[in-house]
Amino acid sequence: MIEPTSILSGLIIGILFGFALQRGRFCMNSAFRDIILLKEYTLLKAVIVAIIVSMLGFHVMASLGIIQLNPKSFFWGANIVGGFIFGIGMVLAGGCASGTTYRVGEGMVGSFVALLGFMMSAVITGSGALREVKSYLQTTTKITITEPGPLVTTTNTSPTLANIIGVDPWIVVIVIAIIGIGVLAWKRKGGEKTEGSLSEKIFKRGWSWWATGIVIGIIAMIAFPASAAAGRNYPLGITGGWSTFLNTLTKGDANVLSWETFLVIGVVIGAAIAAGIAGEFKLRAPGPRRLVQQFIGGLLLGIGAVIADGCNIGHILSGVPQLAIGSIIAGFSIIIGCWVTAYILLMRK
Amino acid sequence: MSGELKPTETLDVRGEVCPYPDVMTQKKVKSMKSGEILEVLIDYPLSAERIPESIKKMGHEVLKVDKTGASEWKILIKIK
Repeated sequence: MIEPTSILSGLIIGILFGFALQRGRFCMNSAFRDIILLKEYTLLKAVIVAIIVSMLGFHVMASLGIIQLNPKSFFWGANIVGGFIFGIGMVLAGGCASGTTYRVGEGMVGSFVALLGFMMSAVITGSGALREVKSYLQTTTKITITEPGPLVTTTNTSPTLANIIGVDPWIVVIVIAIIGIGVLAWKRKGGEKTEGSLSEKIFKRGWSWWATGIVIGIIAMIAFPASAAAGRNYPLGITGGWSTFLNTLTKGDANVLSWETFLVIGVVIGAAIAAGIAGEFKLRAPGPRRLVQQFIGGLLLGIGAVIADGCNIGHILSGVPQLAIGSIIAGFSIIIGCWVTAYILLMRK
Repeated sequence: MSGELKPTETLDVRGEVCPYPDVMTQKKVKSMKSGEILEVLIDYPLSAERIPESIKKMGHEVLKVDKTGASEWKILIKIK
C-alpha cells in the first residue's frame, strides 16, 4: 500500500503541474504540430526551456547525491512504433497525454472522451489483449549497456548519450544546453505577454513561453526526489498514472496505486483551479464526429505510450533530460507521427 | 456594442478542439473579401490567444478581442 505522505506529495506536485500546464497552455501536440501547421514556435520554445531546466536540475541533483538518474530502456522497435502511434493519436485526440489531462480540468468534454480511450487502451496494451505485441517489440529490440556511467543508478542498463560514448554526462548536458539556448535566441520573437499587473499575469492571462518553460522545468525537478521517496525512481509521467488508476478501479486492488496515480489526479484538479480563477472553465463539447475522432485518438495514445514505455511527459520531459537514447528515439518518433497525421488531416488541399 | 462594427460573417467554433478553431478561422479569412469583417466566436483559450497573433501575421487587422463569458471570447477581424 502507498503511504499517505506519498499520496499527498503526488497530489500537491500534480496540482502545481496542472496549474502550470493550464496557464502555459503547455501541450506538446500543439508545440510540434504548429511548427508545420501554423509556423508558430511559441509552445515549442516553452518545451525547449522546460527540457533545459529539468536537464540541468536533474544533473545538479544527481551530482549532489540527492537523486540517482534512472533513464528508460532502449528498445528501438518499441520506441519507434509506439512513438509513431502516439504521435498519430495526439493529433486525433487534440492533445498529448498531458494536454488531454489538463484540458479535462478546463471542462473540455472531448478531452475527457479522449482520456477514457487513453486509459482503456493503456490497460489493454499493458496487461490485456495487446500485451504480447508490446512484449514482443520490447524484448526483441532491446539494447543494453554494461556500464551505466556516473550519476546513474547502478542497476540501470539503459544506453544514454553520455555512456554510449563514455564521456561524463555533464559534457553532453552542457552541449545540449548551448544548442537549445541557441535555438531560443534565434527564434526568440513572439509569444511574450507583458500587459497587466503581476497577479493578473499569473492568474488571469496565459503565461509567456519562458515563464511556462521555467516553471514546468522546476516542477519536473522537484518531482524526481518526491517520486523517488515514494518508491518510484523517476520524475513526471502521465500514462502510468492513468493505467494504474483504471487498474485499481477495475481490479479493486489498491496495491497498484502509485505516486503517479495521484500526480495525474492532481493535474486535473490544478488545471481546474487555474481555469476557474482565470474564467476559463466551461463544460463544452464538439460535435459527435469530432468526439469519435478524439476517442480513437485517445486509444492510439494509450497503445503508443505503453508500447514505447512512455508518453510525451515520460519520454520528452523526463527521459530526454536524463539523456536516455530510448526517450530521444521515442521523442523523434512522436514528432514524425504528429507531422504525418497533421499533414494528412489538416494541411492537404 | 452599439452596432458600430457590423460583422459581414460569423464563424462559430465553440466546442471545437485544437487546432480546428485556428484552421477554420484561417480558411474563412482566406475566403472573404477585402474590407469585410469576420466575427469569430470561440471558447478554447489557447486559440483565443493564438488566432489574433496569426491573423496579424497574415496581414489582416484584429479589431477587437472581447471576453464575453466563462471561457468565451469574440474576435473581430477586418480583412485587408
